Amino acid sequence: MTEQPLALWWAKARSAGPLPVALGTAVPTGMLRLAEPDAATAWLLPVLPDGATPSVLDELGLPSLAVEHPNDTARVLAACVRCCWLDQARPLWPGSAAQLDEVATVFGATTGREPMALNRALLGAIRRLAGAGWLLWDEATRRVRLGPRVATWSPAELSTLRELCRWALAGARSAGAGNDHVSEEGQR
Amino acid sequence: MTETPELPLAEAVGEAAVLRVYQQVFAVLAREAGAMIADPALVDVDEAILGAFADAGTEGLAIEQAVLACRQFRPGLVQRRFEVLREYGAISRLVDRPSERFHRAAFAPYVMLLFLRRMAAQGGQSELHQLLAMEHLSVKAENATAADGVASAHRLTKVFRLLANELGILVAGSPVETLRDNAQLLWGNRELISQTEEVHATVLKKWPELGRDCAALRIALAAYGDAVESAASRLLEQVGATRALGLLPPEAWLSFARSADEEKLAAVLDQFVFDAPAPWFSPQALMEAVESGRPVGPPRMAPPRTDVTDTGPETGGEMVDDAEDLRALAELILGERNEVRIPEILNEAGDWLAGRRVLATVTSIHQHPALGYELIWEDGLRIEPGASPSWVSDGIFRRLGISRDDDHSGAG
Repeated sequence: MTEQPLALWWAKARSAGPLPVALGTAVPTGMLRLAEPDAATAWLLPVLPDGATPSVLDELGLPSLAVEHPNDTARVLAACVRCCWLDQARPLWPGSAAQLDEVATVFGATTGREPMALNRALLGAIRRLAGAGWLLWDEATRRVRLGPRVATWSPAELSTLRELCRWALAGARSAGAGNDHVSEEGQR
Repeated sequence: MTETPELPLAEAVGEAAVLRVYQQVFAVLAREAGAMIADPALVDVDEAILGAFADAGTEGLAIEQAVLACRQFRPGLVQRRFEVLREYGAISRLVDRPSERFHRAAFAPYVMLLFLRRMAAQGGQSELHQLLAMEHLSVKAENATAADGVASAHRLTKVFRLLANELGILVAGSPVETLRDNAQLLWGNRELISQTEEVHATVLKKWPELGRDCAALRIALAAYGDAVESAASRLLEQVGATRALGLLPPEAWLSFARSADEEKLAAVLDQFVFDAPAPWFSPQALMEAVESGRPVGPPRMAPPRTDVTDTGPETGGEMVDDAEDLRALAELILGERNEVRIPEILNEAGDWLAGRRVLATVTSIHQHPALGYELIWEDGLRIEPGASPSWVSDGIFRRLGISRDDDHSGAG
């Protein structure tokens, strides 16, 4: 791929996030193609080298992009990872879909807030995350899936996530266990 | 007499400029109010009629033929314009008799029409430039007389007075929108002024006796310059930082933003790419957020306390201190001496079990902070394979500070 279309792809990805394309599209250099489970479309996701990811900002102590309600948003993402990443031996993408109630249960266990405030925080965070490509949110069916951006996490970071799912959210596991089963069946 | 169809406002704005110039130029021709051009569409009818005459050739046209040639317009409209043009002399009968049906057209109205179209499109500025250039040529010509110079200066004085007056009145008393619509009066003023100054210089140099007329021209020019400046400053005040006088007024943008649908609004930004990095969440951050958010259970009540005022902590049990016992043991070991060597006290103790107890005692005396004794180990080593402690390292157990006191007493 020549330079100009390549730069265009990167600019698009930078301004619009992960790009949905037809499956046959040539993959630009440095991008990752993530096929959707239905095998019709795919996402193009820019993959940065380890030393150039946004986490470097944290290491350098520089301010990163401000998110509204950063803690709640991170908690909701964690809850979604917990609910959508059922088989932790396999990669995060594509994961499986989870009902909103299921995520709400896990999220509620991490904060212990009253249901109204909880629901408001949950929906706000899900919309923010969906806008940035971390989640795929289907408003009509009220189902959540992990977005293509989760594929940027490195294997080392995945072990942190496994730990998160096993221990930090373990209390929520028993609460959401019944729902897990349902959603798995619903997925098939 | 002419019908004024109800035009949408936006369309009318575009045609208003054409109409204004048309009316200004034709005002001298309109003897009757009914014959006055009040609709830009009539200009098109006139042009079509004159075009039909151009196509007709030398035989001329009857009014019915003209109506037929201009069938894109309403027949009544064409007939009425035909009559108006005939009244003004733009169209006349081939032979001047009442029954004559065929007409011929003069070329001058069409030239005028062309001129008007250009004036309308360019606001008359370029015509003014050409006029100035022609004036300059005529006064520069070899055979030009002082009368030509006076006439030229007078004409230019009138032009600039009219310009300055119009602009000045707009600046002083009109809403800024009207001023903005007439901004064409401002365009190209620098070249106009410099061209006129050239004409003025030529006239003054050639005929110095025309000083009065030239002064009038200079005054008109200066008035025009002032009017332009005040108009520009008023416009700039309204526009803000941008120098684009042709920008839409804020109201237009507001109504656009209110009335446009999503696609139209989005289309404004079609050409732009925004740098929009997404927020980043590292798993570590997720972990921290989850852990910090963990509920700590219901808030704890403070344990109940008695009402009586706190008397402070009760004194605990007595501190167990064996300082006195140790001191007694030390005195027992040292006896009269100020210091004693470790091998000696081990010998005194006899067997290793007792010696071990003595060593433990000596060590704890040494380590008690309140007691003034010390134990110092030295390098020497006594080895006796047959004895009960088969080896003993050298050391001294002594009173602290006593030797110094002894030195002092010795010195004393």
